Amino acid sequence: MKELRMILYKELIHIVRDKITLFLVLAIPIMLVLLFGFTISTEIRNAKVAVLDQSKDSQSVALIDKISSSGYFQVVAYPETESEIDRDFKEMDIKLAIIIPSEFEHSLEKEKIATLQIINDVSDLNVASVLNNYLQAITHDFITEYNHKGSESGTVEMVTNMRYNPEMNSVYMFVPGIITLIMIIVTALMSSITLAREKETGTMNMLLITPVKKVYVIIGKVIPYMCLSLISTAMIILISVFVFKMPVNGSIWLLLLLCIIFMFTAASFGMMISAISKTQIDAMMVTMMGLFLPTVLLSGFLFPLDNMPMFFQVLADVFPAKWFIIAIKDVMIKGSGFFDIWKYLGILILMAIVLITISLTNVDKRK
Amino acid sequence: MQSIVAKDLTKQFGTFTAVNHINFEVEKGEIFGFLGANGAGKTTAIKMMSGLLLPTSGDALIGGYSIRTESKQIKKHIGYMSQRFSLYNDLTVFENMQLFGTVYGIPPKELKQRINNSLEELMLLDKKNSLVASIPLGWKQKLAFATAILHRPEIVFLDEPTSGVDPIVRREFWKLIYQAAAQGITIFVTTHYMDEAEYCHRISIMSDGCLKLIGTPDELKQQMGVNSIEEVFVKFVNR
Ligand SMILES: Nc1ncnc2c1ncn2[C@@H]1O[C@H](COP(=O)(O)OP(=O)(O)OP(=O)(O)O)[C@@H](O)[C@H]1O
Ligand SMILES: [Mg+2]
Repeated sequence: MKELRMILYKELIHIVRDKITLFLVLAIPIMLVLLFGFTISTEIRNAKVAVLDQSKDSQSVALIDKISSSGYFQVVAYPETESEIDRDFKEMDIKLAIIIPSEFEHSLEKEKIATLQIINDVSDLNVASVLNNYLQAITHDFITEYNHKGSESGTVEMVTNMRYNPEMNSVYMFVPGIITLIMIIVTALMSSITLAREKETGTMNMLLITPVKKVYVIIGKVIPYMCLSLISTAMIILISVFVFKMPVNGSIWLLLLLCIIFMFTAASFGMMISAISKTQIDAMMVTMMGLFLPTVLLSGFLFPLDNMPMFFQVLADVFPAKWFIIAIKDVMIKGSGFFDIWKYLGILILMAIVLITISLTNVDKRK
Repeated sequence: MQSIVAKDLTKQFGTFTAVNHINFEVEKGEIFGFLGANGAGKTTAIKMMSGLLLPTSGDALIGGYSIRTESKQIKKHIGYMSQRFSLYNDLTVFENMQLFGTVYGIPPKELKQRINNSLEELMLLDKKNSLVASIPLGWKQKLAFATAILHRPEIVFLDEPTSGVDPIVRREFWKLIYQAAAQGITIFVTTHYMDEAEYCHRISIMSDGCLKLIGTPDELKQQMGVNSIEEVFVKFVNR
């Protein structure tokens, strides 16, 4: 154990003294998140909406007023029929349509309940859910004022209708995407490249000649980069959640657990690449071809897998990123709990075990 | 007692035979010089004996242990200085020694003591906290040697330890080697400097993977009827 601690300490020194790399590793993810984040959050102000007012009474007009004066919405169209709403989605790029049914005021007064129908453009699912939250808050304000005036106790119900997004893709999906890439670049690529560098400079031989276990040398290499990638990931999640109000419908702890497990899978890739590659170029090529490209192309976060030929869909299954992305989407958007995603966690853990076993059986062979 | 016994030690890379059935013995405390032209197979032989490469055939006993089957037991008893300087440039002098001392299992207190003593001997104490990258090559080589014997091995393999350093440092380096040998450490050293060959108790000359000559410098000179090892070497290589 003392040896492992020493190796870890040495790796830590390597990392800390390599200021440029350290800076890049920590700063790039944050810069990416800020970049994407600001592009998104500006979209959420002044979202274009269409209102189909079938009631046209004083309360419905008052509600529309409240919505358009909130700053979150900008009513750009007043369609007359539902088919016109479709047209507005296509042509006016509205994010949301509100249908106020006829007799709005009447039902509020008599039945104490009125219904609003909301149609969302959910190609940006999280934008949609953020907008719905805003709308909910506005109608809530509206109804409290209404109740206050007449000491009544009416409610407005919102019925939401999703459109245009069967896959539940979301603009916030760049977050899992960035996390995936960071994990792979830092834990797999950086650790295997620095290990290969030691093979090139000969320091690896100096270590191998000592009684220290080769496994320790590799583990000692991977662990610090795992920590680094975890720090990066935590920062990405924190910034997304607290600065950009990324909706996380599931538990943020589950999200973290998921990231940690994926980190292990990525690290086990790193271990395997470290075990088999002799030079930095080897390590780079293997990581790029064997891990990075498949992740970018086959994980489903850039290119939808459903449209791909069968061969690629099957191929995607053997890389960890796809499962990670599915699980993280489920947690973030559907609010899935541990028991909904344990299968994906299981797959990731299984992959890690297989890879670690392969690298351990290869590691101690002399040639 | 023999520190090293090589028995038909052979290494092939594909069809190319880098080390071809070499046989020799090295006594404990001996300074054994390993000479040979570039590409003769010296480094390959050292790598096999220190456990980095597996022999294709044959075997060697290091401190009585087989390099084929008992390389784990061997590790504790050997030190190694590679042909190319291979300490960590981004670590300080102290950190490098601490790293290697620790992985050999030297207790921390004792280790500090040994590092300080060793640096004092080398007159490197004021460079203790300098990055290795920043010190001159001669000092680096001495540091690499000190690091290689920090755990007090029985045998140390030195692969061209003095290549590229100035004559003064070379002389100092050989003083260190003699000191280590006086403590009973067996020295296995390769070199291209013929004057250094004269400092060895015994030398062997390798060519194309085969061990061609072996004996004390005087024996070899007599055998070839010349006055210096350099002449032995030239005469031998020209044959
Ligand atoms: N891993 C390898 N694969 C293939 N050939 C190798 C390998 N390592 C060494 N060789 C070849 O084996 C031969 C002996 O190499 P070695 O490094 O042992 O020579 P050397 O005596 O140490 O030479 P030098 O004085 O230049 O250090 C060389 O021809 C070299 O090209
Ligand atoms: Mg050599």
